Parts: sequence; structure tokens; C-alpha cells
Amino acid sequence: MIELWDGASMEYDKILENLLGRDDYLVVGHSVVRTDALEKALGRARFTADYIPKGTAVVKVVRSSQPHARIKVDVKAALGVPGVLAVLTAADVPGHNQIGYALPDQPFLNGEKVHYIGDPIALVCAEKEYAAAEAVDAVEVEYDPLPASFTLDAALQPDAEPIHEGGNVAVTTRIRKGDAERGFSAAEVEVEDTYETPYQEHMYLEPEAAYAVPEGAGKVTVVGTMQSPFLVREKVAHVLGWNLSQVRIIQALTGGAFGGKDDMGPLVCAKAALAAVKLGRPAALVFDRDESVAYTPKRFPARIRYRSGADGEGRITAVEVDITVDCGAYANRAPFWLWRMTAHAAGPYEVENASVDGRAVYTNKVFGGSFRGFGDVAIHFAAESQVDRLAEELGMDPVEFRLRNVLRPGSRTTCDQLLDHSVGMEECLRGAAEAAGWKRGRELGRKGSRVRGVGVGCAYHGISTSRSTPDWSAASLILNQDGSFTYRTGICELGQGSPVGHAKIVAEIIGAPLSSIRIEVPDTDSTPNAKPTHGSRGLMLGGTAAADAALKLRQRMISVAAEMLGCPEADVDLREGRAFNRQDPSEEVSFAELAEELYVRGVSPAAYGFYTSPRRFYDPETGLGVNYSVYTFAASVVEVEVDTETGQVDVVKVWPAMDVGRAIDPLMIEGQIHGAVSQGIGFTLMERLVVEDGLVLNPNFKDYVVPSALDTPEVAETIIVEEPYRHSAFGAKGVGEPAIISIVPAIANAIHNATGLRFNTLPITAERLYAALRRRKP
Amino acid sequence: MRPIPSFSLHRPKTLSEALELLQALEDARPIAGGTDLLVLLRDGAVSAKHLIDLGGVHELQYIREENDEIRIGAATTHAQLLRSELIAEKTPLLHEAAASIGSVQIRNRGTLGGNLCNASPAADTAPPLLALNAEAAVASTGGTRIIPLGDLFAGPKMNSLRPGELLTEIRFPTPPAGSGTSFQKLGRRRGLTLAVINVAVYLCLEGGVCREARIALGAVAATPIRMPAAEEMLEGRQLSGELIEAAASACRDQVRPIDDIRASAEYRREMAYVLTRRALMDAWERARRDTL
Repeated sequence: MIELWDGASMEYDKILENLLGRDDYLVVGHSVVRTDALEKALGRARFTADYIPKGTAVVKVVRSSQPHARIKVDVKAALGVPGVLAVLTAADVPGHNQIGYALPDQPFLNGEKVHYIGDPIALVCAEKEYAAAEAVDAVEVEYDPLPASFTLDAALQPDAEPIHEGGNVAVTTRIRKGDAERGFSAAEVEVEDTYETPYQEHMYLEPEAAYAVPEGAGKVTVVGTMQSPFLVREKVAHVLGWNLSQVRIIQALTGGAFGGKDDMGPLVCAKAALAAVKLGRPAALVFDRDESVAYTPKRFPARIRYRSGADGEGRITAVEVDITVDCGAYANRAPFWLWRMTAHAAGPYEVENASVDGRAVYTNKVFGGSFRGFGDVAIHFAAESQVDRLAEELGMDPVEFRLRNVLRPGSRTTCDQLLDHSVGMEECLRGAAEAAGWKRGRELGRKGSRVRGVGVGCAYHGISTSRSTPDWSAASLILNQDGSFTYRTGICELGQGSPVGHAKIVAEIIGAPLSSIRIEVPDTDSTPNAKPTHGSRGLMLGGTAAADAALKLRQRMISVAAEMLGCPEADVDLREGRAFNRQDPSEEVSFAELAEELYVRGVSPAAYGFYTSPRRFYDPETGLGVNYSVYTFAASVVEVEVDTETGQVDVVKVWPAMDVGRAIDPLMIEGQIHGAVSQGIGFTLMERLVVEDGLVLNPNFKDYVVPSALDTPEVAETIIVEEPYRHSAFGAKGVGEPAIISIVPAIANAIHNATGLRFNTLPITAERLYAALRRRKP
Repeated sequence: MRPIPSFSLHRPKTLSEALELLQALEDARPIAGGTDLLVLLRDGAVSAKHLIDLGGVHELQYIREENDEIRIGAATTHAQLLRSELIAEKTPLLHEAAASIGSVQIRNRGTLGGNLCNASPAADTAPPLLALNAEAAVASTGGTRIIPLGDLFAGPKMNSLRPGELLTEIRFPTPPAGSGTSFQKLGRRRGLTLAVINVAVYLCLEGGVCREARIALGAVAATPIRMPAAEEMLEGRQLSGELIEAAASACRDQVRPIDDIRASAEYRREMAYVLTRRALMDAWERARRDTL
């Protein structure tokens, strides 16, 4: 029986009809109160810093004050500071000092050269904060400055000082589909422009933190804030030169991550672990806000030259896109980021002729990294601005123009991937436009100095990792003797609620009350490896592994229950924590009785779930192939009010729509949308990291301005489109990242609708908008 | 970032005790809510061996009206100002300004006296109090002196208090019938925001004629400042949209803003015009309503 539920052959979206035999879902598709909500609301939930007891050694990072230099480090004076326990440099790393994520360009501690202001050089370990701070100052770093590049153009100069061996281009990408030039010759209108998007800082409320405890010889436990416990384990073991089994990683509840903790979790945990192991006593590293903002990865800035053409029928005939990503000091995730931008370059439209080139370039600034949307925010800002312009050139309504081009079932993506099902783009766009009263909305007009406008944005986002990267997930489920369940997943709770989604999937399949399923915190010593919580894969991949475990356990429970009830297995139903005979529901056993019986009979009460994505492939020469196993689609209509005297933009209302495959929890989807609207408003209108000669000038909440609650607009009820994905539990697809992508261009397009001004560079601050309005005045 | 350097904390219960400590201790500073001072200490922008916490000096927390004058104790929090019916009713200008400061948490800690003594050019309570013609009571062990509020500001983040002195009270005449006020603030977002510029206007009308006009702007010069040239243009005149525009233009000419991370000088200058015009129009409208 069990073979039947193998991920590749099971059509998970059909579980309801084929397996559960229910007319309706018990919890899937219904909004529930999250099982972790109360603890968080009451401030009882524990985050990493809450685990650190008094007496723990304090770890501080000695950082480069120069953007590019050869260095010599002398720690003697620092070691003499009273209360200092150790000062660790590259020479003290027992394992490997190379910790680059995608490329080997990133030393864990820099001993010879620094690449940006903030590059880690040494770790100071001390009894107290004061001693640590004093010792950080006492570490003598001799700098022999090298020419530094702060802009893409400077770094790309032929005589630019190479930031890493092999020059300043870290990686390139390309797609050649059809014949772009032939496409342009068939075009009636053509538009071309260059778009630029800036850094965006995550500004999670909880800064980076790790607490490490040595456990006798050859073992260390690290509690930290992260997105991928098993990646953290790998990196900690790598730095220590240990086996994976010698490192135990526990993910404490994580106070916001948005991608940033995927990059920083390993780097911070490895520092705390190294200190703890070297000192032979517990050690903790907690970043300050300034440190978190100035020195940790942010959304990669990008410059996109974009040319597109459309014929008289309003069909896009060709796109030619040239993408340059600013890596900063290290490539980090740039190869994957750039590839995602390249693959999604045409936006959610079917374009027969596409030519896309990309490169990621080093500069001597804080490095970029993962951030919600992962390149798709920038590329959709460009693509959706271009689409609006094509429509304008043709005198067509922007919604109508998009409808003529959107991806539909049977369409092929820019990478020539056939989308045979789960393609809800058209429904999303129609839904959002209709909800917003699109036609009427476009005649909103002026009131005094205030002028209103509406804009639309579409988006698609490949879920999980791309190309041929293996993609799988695992989970475990134990039925305890009292009928309660212990669920373990390596997918992390970051505020988004994926593990609660898993629990709902489990509850649906085994008919257990949600409250009887305890979700354990990820602990690499006992939790199955679910791979990272990124790429909007937490629910889709992790939840499907959960479904696999639940289906296995369900079968055993049904088989034992059938014998206890004396009825055929087909008649057994599981619901509300009991097994009963469908023919005679009064014949029932509780899960406690059933559990006892499993244990007595020697039927395993534990199930291990494993899921792997359908295989993908791609041709590196042309970029063509099957990139992502499935895509989430989204559309937003946004209404703005622009104060033409001050340049301030008020986002009045947002109408969101998303094809989520299947909504496991509509309320959690709303939560993602609301957060994304706010983060999207920040990116589009106000967030501005000021970097001068490599130095971040506003590493704080005071001057790095993110939206407040008062800047949050009315958000209409999300239009949830359900085009189930065949290979995930109940057909669910990821939501977190797709939620932000369409908001950004929709706001920019609405500003254009209101003012006639088109901005190719973000953020559109009040001052910039004011200056542009003034320049236009006769 | 560094931990805050260590200091000794003193918690007097009375004003005279506080003044004596301030007089006696070397390198001592008063601290009220600490919302500005703790940040400055941490950044190393100021240093102090002794901090004298005014939080326990209850005699500095009051809001009352006496002889057509409103008096506010310097240690009164923004939240207390906001909750005061007297302030809401008699000086909505100060109520609106207090409402725009920080967040609930910051308003619960931050005090009026602290906001003024911190002497930020962008302090949100400064322009309203300047427009209300406020005076400051400054005490030391030697006695109390009364100064015009404007004299308290010596420069960006610099007040004019002498060693051993404490700001104890802010007082201003209760706005009479026929007066109208307006507070306008431009920030980089709507809530929890530092002013890019802020403007407060007080107008008193008598039969359609502007008897008195007071205009004060913040974040457009080294200190929050009044705009006498613009005020003179309005006083004794029948108000009109054109006149108000002219007065607002005069403000644009008078301000001396700087470029900083929040905005350029040029934008601030232009916004000085826009916000002053809006404040004047709004105050005019309210004054007319008040006269009816």
C-alpha cells in the first residue's frame, strides 16, 4: 500500500476525493487560530536571545573600517584587555575558512584582505560587553588600501582593481528563445529603457543571534535565528572541521527573516560555535541593530536595460533584457538570484522571442542576499513598467493588453517550459481588475492638490529552487500513547506559519484535532531534514512531506481500527480524534485507545514522510528547460493619491489576487499579503539605504524608514484563485514571495496614471516625485 | 555599536533635591524620559558621569490653567499632554503636535521639557509653543528666571541652560476667542516619524482683521524659529488667500535649511512655503469658526 503514496505517482491534489472520501475539508481551506498565536501575542514565545543565560561569554565581531585593503592583524593588545577570554582570527579556524554560499569567494574570517566596510576580521570573546567593546577597539588592523569600486560602472572598468580572483564579474546567465530580432521586426511599437532598483534592508524586528554550548568533546549545540537548520549545521561543521553528527542546531522561533536569516543564520551560528568550542564554555553573539543594517546582506541592487516590442494586435513579439546585479563584496546567492531574474525576465507573459543576458558584479559594498521575491521584484518592476508602456503606445487599456499576453495552461515560459496545469494568471488579473472596478477607477481625477490614479501589476514566481538543484523535503509524525501527535519538520517558523500549515495538512489526513498536534522546534538531532525555508517552499515542499508521513500513519491507524471495529478498512473514517465505522458512526474508538493498540500490536506509531519534486532540467547554453516545478501567479490593482504640492504618495487601497493552488489557510494568506503590501510600499516609496564610499550612513530605524501602521492602506479581501498543483499536498503552492512582487510595479504604474510621470528608479520618495513634478511645469 | 558607558543614577524626589545634586555633582546631566539622551550616550555624542532622573520629581508633572495662562510642568509626558482635556480644548495646537510625536511607547516616556531641552531643530513641540508665545521657567539653587522659549534654543542639539540649571515649567497665555491654530508636519512616512519640516501657526482675528499672527517653523534652521517678516505682513490686515500665499512665500525666503539624510535644503525650503500656506489657511478657517 505504501508505495502508492510515493510523491512521484500520487496526485496530491486528489487526496480529498480519492483517499479521504470526504465531501469537504475539515481544516484545509478554513481559517484557524494559529496554534502559536497566543504565546506570541502574550510575549511568552522564546526567541534566541531569550535562551542566553547570564555568565555566557560575549562574542563581538571585529570588522573592517576600509572598503578594500590588504590587512595585517595583531591581537596582542586586545588579549591584554581585562576580561578578554580570546581573540580568534582566520588562523584559529580549525576547519575551513572559506564559507561562500555559491562561489568560494567569502572567507569566514578575513586574514589577508578585506572587501567591504564591515568585513569580519576577528572574534573577540569576553566576560562582559564592556571588555568585549574595549578589546574590539584594541585589535590592531594595519590596512594597505586598494582601489575600491562602489558602482557597477566603476567595477566593470577594464582596469578596475579585482575584488576577487578572476575579476569583478562573478557569474553570467543567458536565455535565447526564438529570434528576438525577428520579433522586433514584427513589432508595431517598441519601448526601451533602463530600470534601477536599490538595496532593501529586511529590518526584521529580531536581529541576528546565536547561542552555542559545547557538549563535552566533539559536540556543540547552537540555538539560533535562522531559516535552514541543516544548512547551518553544514556550515558550522565545515568551519569546525567536524562531521555533521557532531553539530546540533536548534532553531529558536525566528523574529522575522524574509530571506536574510537564510544567509546570516550559518554565518552567525558558526561564529558562536567556534567561540564556544575554543573557549570550552557557552558563548553568544547577538548583533546590534546598526551591525545588522550596515553589514549584513540586503536585497541585491540591480540595473535592467529592457527593450520590448508588440504588434498591432497587442501581442508582445519580443523582449531583449540585459540584467546587471550588484553583488557587493561577495556573490553569496547572486548566481541563483540572477538566474531567477533571467528566467522570469518577460514577466508572466507568453513571449516567443526572448534574448536575456545577465551578469552579477562585485563592488566594495555590503553584499546582497536573499530577500522575499528573490530578484523577481526588480525584474517585474521593469517588465510591468514596459508592459504598461507598450499598452500606452498602442492606445490600449493596460489590463486588456496584459490579458492578450498572459501565460495560460498550455503556454510556454521564456525558458520554453510548458505550463500544462495550475496556471491561474488570467483569473487573478480579471479578478483583481473587476474587484477594483478597473474602468471606473481610471477616471478618479483631481481634488485640490491631490490627484488619484490606479495601476495594475502582474507577477509569477517559480516555487522553490530552480534548474536541476535536487529538491526534497522530509517530516516525521509520531502518534503518542495518549492519542496526541508529535510533528517534526525542518521547515522553520519565521512568522509566516508554514509549520502550522503542515499541522493542518496532517490534521486533515488523520482526522486529529489541530490542538492535539504538537509542532516541535527544528532540532537537527531529531528533526528530519526538510531543506531550507526559502523560495516559498515551506508549505508546498514541507507540507507535502507532512502529508506523506500522515498518509502512512493513517493507513496503519485505519488498518488497526478496522480490526478493533470489526468492519472493512474502507468503512473506517478518522475525524475529531476518533476512528469510527462510517456505516454506524456510534461504533468508534478514540485515538488514545487506537494508539495503545498500535503499540501493543507492534505496529509502528511513527511515520517518516519524504517528498521529492518532479525532475527538472535545463540547457546552460540557451537557458531553456524546466526551471521550476510550478509557479504561483498574482495580480494587484493599486489606487494611489499623490499630493502634487509635496510629492507624497498615499497608497489608498490595494486589491490583491493570487493563484495559490489550494488555500490551506485563507487567513494566513491574507497575513502574507498584508505584510507584503507594507514591505512593497516601503521598497517602492521610502526605503533608501544611504551608502557613501562604502559606508552605510543610516543603519537604524530612525533614518532607514520603513512603513508604519499608518502607511498601510486598506487591503481588499484577497481574491484567492485555486488552480491546484498536481504534485503537492492538496495542490497548495507557495505564497510568501509572490505576495510582494506585483505590488511594486502596481504602485509605480498608479503613480504614472495619476501624474503622467514614470519612474524607472526606486524608491519614488516624496522629494523625488516633487522634483519631477516641478521639472515638468512649464 | 557600543554598550552605553557606565554612569551613576540618582533619583531625587523633589525639585530642590534635584537642583542640589545637579549643582554638587561633577559632569552630571538631568534625564527625563531618556528617549533622546540614552541614544546620544550610546553613540558617544554626549557623556555624563551622573544622571539625575527627574522621573520621581512629581512636582514637575502638571498641566493647569491659572489667570488665563496655561502652565505645564517640564516633566509632563507627551502622553499626559495628549490625555489632557484642558490642552485638547484650549490649545489643540499642542495636542496635535504631541499626537504626532513618536509612538505610544515614546510618548509614554518622553517629556515636554526633554523635547525642548534636547533642542533638536525638528522638535515637534517647539514650533507650537513658539507660536503660542511660550515662556520657560528655568531654576537653579540660586532661584528661578523666566525666559522667552526661543531663548532656550542655542543651536542644533544645544540649549542655553547654564550649569546647574533645570527647565521646570512652560507657560503661555490661553488662546482667546477668535484665535485659530494649525500644526502641519511633513515626514518620510505617516506615523512614528521625524519631521522633515514642521510648522505651527497662531492667528487671532478681530472682525476679519488679523490682530495677531505667529508663525513658527522647525527643521528649517539651526533652531526652531519664528517668522517675524511673514507675521508682520498679516497683522492688521484683512486676510485673503493671496495675502496668505505672500506670507508663506516670505517664509520660504527666510528659512535657512540644510541638506541632510532626510531631505535636501531645497525641498525643505519649498515645503516651508507649502506647509506654512496650509497652516495659515487652516488656522484662518478655524479662527473664523471660533469667532462665529
